[in-house]
Amino acid sequence: MTEAPVISVQGLVKTFGAFRALDELDLEVLPGEVHGFLGPNGAGKSTTIRSLLGLLRADAGSMSVFGLDPWRDAVEIHRRLAYVPGDVALWPNLSGGEVIDLLIRMRGGDPETSRREELLERFDLDPTKKGRAYSKGNRQKVALVAAFAADSELLVLDEPTSGLDPLMEQVFNECVAEHTARGATVLLSSHILSEVERLAARVTIIRAGRAVETGTLEEMRHLHRNRIEAVLEGPVPDVTGMAGVHDVHVEGQQLVCTVDPEGLTEVLGALTAAGVQALTSTPPTLEELFLDVYRPDLEGARR
Amino acid sequence: MSTLVGRVPGRQVGVDLLVRLALRRDRVMVAAWYAVLLLVCFASASATTTLYDTEAERVKAAEAINASPGIVALYGPILDVHSAGEVAMTKMTVLYSVFVAIMVLFVVRRHTRMDEEDGQFELLGGTAITRDAPLTAAVVVGSGLSLLLGVLAAAVNVLGGLPVTGSLAFGGSWAGTGLVATGLTAAACQLSASARTCAAIASSAIGVLFVLRAVGDTTAASWLSWTTPFGWNTQLRAYGNTRWWILLLYVAMAVVLVGGAVLLARRRDLGSGIFAPRPGPATGSPRLADAVALAVRVHTPMLVGWTTAVAVLGLVFGAISPSFDAFDSKGIEDMLRRIGGAGAFRDTLLGAVISVLALVVTCFAIAVVGHGGSDEHDGRTEQVLATATSRARAFLATLVVGVLGATWLLLVTGVTLAVGVGNDTDHSFGRLVGSALAQGPAVWTVAAVAVLCFAVRSRWALLGWGVVVLFATLGQIGELLGLPQWVLDLSPYTHAPRMPLADFEPVPALVLSVIAAALLAVSWLRYRSRDIG
Repeated sequence: MTEAPVISVQGLVKTFGAFRALDELDLEVLPGEVHGFLGPNGAGKSTTIRSLLGLLRADAGSMSVFGLDPWRDAVEIHRRLAYVPGDVALWPNLSGGEVIDLLIRMRGGDPETSRREELLERFDLDPTKKGRAYSKGNRQKVALVAAFAADSELLVLDEPTSGLDPLMEQVFNECVAEHTARGATVLLSSHILSEVERLAARVTIIRAGRAVETGTLEEMRHLHRNRIEAVLEGPVPDVTGMAGVHDVHVEGQQLVCTVDPEGLTEVLGALTAAGVQALTSTPPTLEELFLDVYRPDLEGARR
Repeated sequence: MSTLVGRVPGRQVGVDLLVRLALRRDRVMVAAWYAVLLLVCFASASATTTLYDTEAERVKAAEAINASPGIVALYGPILDVHSAGEVAMTKMTVLYSVFVAIMVLFVVRRHTRMDEEDGQFELLGGTAITRDAPLTAAVVVGSGLSLLLGVLAAAVNVLGGLPVTGSLAFGGSWAGTGLVATGLTAAACQLSASARTCAAIASSAIGVLFVLRAVGDTTAASWLSWTTPFGWNTQLRAYGNTRWWILLLYVAMAVVLVGGAVLLARRRDLGSGIFAPRPGPATGSPRLADAVALAVRVHTPMLVGWTTAVAVLGLVFGAISPSFDAFDSKGIEDMLRRIGGAGAFRDTLLGAVISVLALVVTCFAIAVVGHGGSDEHDGRTEQVLATATSRARAFLATLVVGVLGATWLLLVTGVTLAVGVGNDTDHSFGRLVGSALAQGPAVWTVAAVAVLCFAVRSRWALLGWGVVVLFATLGQIGELLGLPQWVLDLSPYTHAPRMPLADFEPVPALVLSVIAAALLAVSWLRYRSRDIG
């Protein structure tokens, strides 16, 4: 892990008037990884991405992409990346095919030698329609085909599957996998947890312009309590008083509770002593992590 | 009546809501149009009494206007030379009613095809409104604004000192023109899926109606003037022996056009036009590879349309101009001096035509800058700048198309005028072309102000329209209202040489060019360092 990060953001602040859109945000994306960038609408995901693209000027903090300054070296950086915005706007009187070729060429690629034809087929997109005639999903596909057609080092995808049907989401997942297989780095912003869970190795969760959690999904799971369901042979031990144990429910021989990682040993010890017939321990889904992070003041959600 | 409507199964639901929404969205734009049109109307009405010392002088001016086909082509004839009102409303009756039609075109198109292209109809279609409701609402808004403008125009003319009955008839002609434009635009907006194409169709139709009248008024085929609302405006004889029944012609034409629009609307799907869109190319041309090429490509259809329109106007006015010399009367010279310039009639007229076309050509540049603004807040610029395109290149793209496009249109103006004038002139081909190009510095300066607005904030790009209208209005009414010279001097157009009559003056041209360059430089400094979006 000595490789320099592809994207590095430290203490990024961006204000719009009195509104603090980004509030000392940190983000680090390592080479070759799919990095999930999670947050609810309005958390600052798009603002972060647009700052990384040199479209917005940061008020404070430092950023680098490929070790370069996104504001000063925008052109050089953009030659090596492909960007898909969350809401793709097309030119009303240009055809989809023209836009795809234009975007590929403007990134310094050559549509002739790209995977454009293959992708048009896989995404089932008619390139001869004019921009105004495409639906939201099809506009998204135009941008995705243009982004996936060339071998960019970095893909910056801002909520790229909004508007795609499940079949197309599958194609999208395959495309991301193909690009990571050849070594590309992906920054994937989303509020769809299952999508990120499937694709991303590491995630950063942001809320109100601040990164509240970052790490691999494994690390995050360790940080959070497991849900334990046990059916016991003997009398059910009283685990209520043990450190890190919450939400205890006992029904006959069945015990259900949630346990912080540091409390697991003690709880499992007590259960083993009572004799275990069945035991399941489920790590929290990203959904639960998400709720955990975004509703910190809800009772019992966090210590 | 309401119970009858209540029983009709296809009753319109949501029209009142949409009308209120439309009025809310239009309030600034419509207020600006109203202000300018009514101000010019009032200035013309009130100035005429002071402009001519005696009635004999006024009648002489009116006769001079009628005797000059060039002016008749532009403003229409004065059917009753003894009517003070008709002389006062010379420019208002036909030429300014074209602006009334254009205002209505913008309003009706905005609430029909533009909303449809932007997908807002889809949003509305999901709510509890009937299918025809948006079109009905747009027609209601267009007609309502036309009628209100007619009433207000009558009122300001009365305030300006013109007779009440005649002013009401004049207001009726503007309202009628607006009604026809409402129907025309509603119908045109059913034809193509592209808002820009619909605008081109509607404005071409307005142009044809204007030219039909110009030909009818200046040739033996005078029946042509009866085929168009712009001809009816004169034939109404608002301030003479008014033919009130002509007002029914506007209503009848508007009803037929709106009926046609409704029929067309029912025969097409949401988001499409009557003309099926041609499929575009499946691949992009290798030349379409950077921001400048993109801007050129996007604006090519528009530039072709503008070039055609400017060329037609140049040829027509060039061809009519030789007859200007035939009438050497003190009255017309006086009149022409007030229109803008002194000296030989033809040169004055050619100069007037050139300065009007310079205003028109500026609008092209403003439209391009406006597109730069909408590209930015719609997110298209973001996609361009996320590629290996520098900000300088993206900025340059708007500049190149806007400024060079406008300059090209000035060149077309000069060349077509010169071709229209032909050999029957003591001015060389080159002098006429030069006369048009001499407007360049003024056009560039106004365009540069628009660019500066855009550079400050993308949504301010539309302020450019306000700048053009402001300067144009200053030029039109400044002298009529006797505004101080320093106010008139604010307009760059004031400093453009009155060629071909006067000689080219290098100093004002140089100063304007330097100002334009400075404005563009400041714009760039701002654009390079601001947020995109």
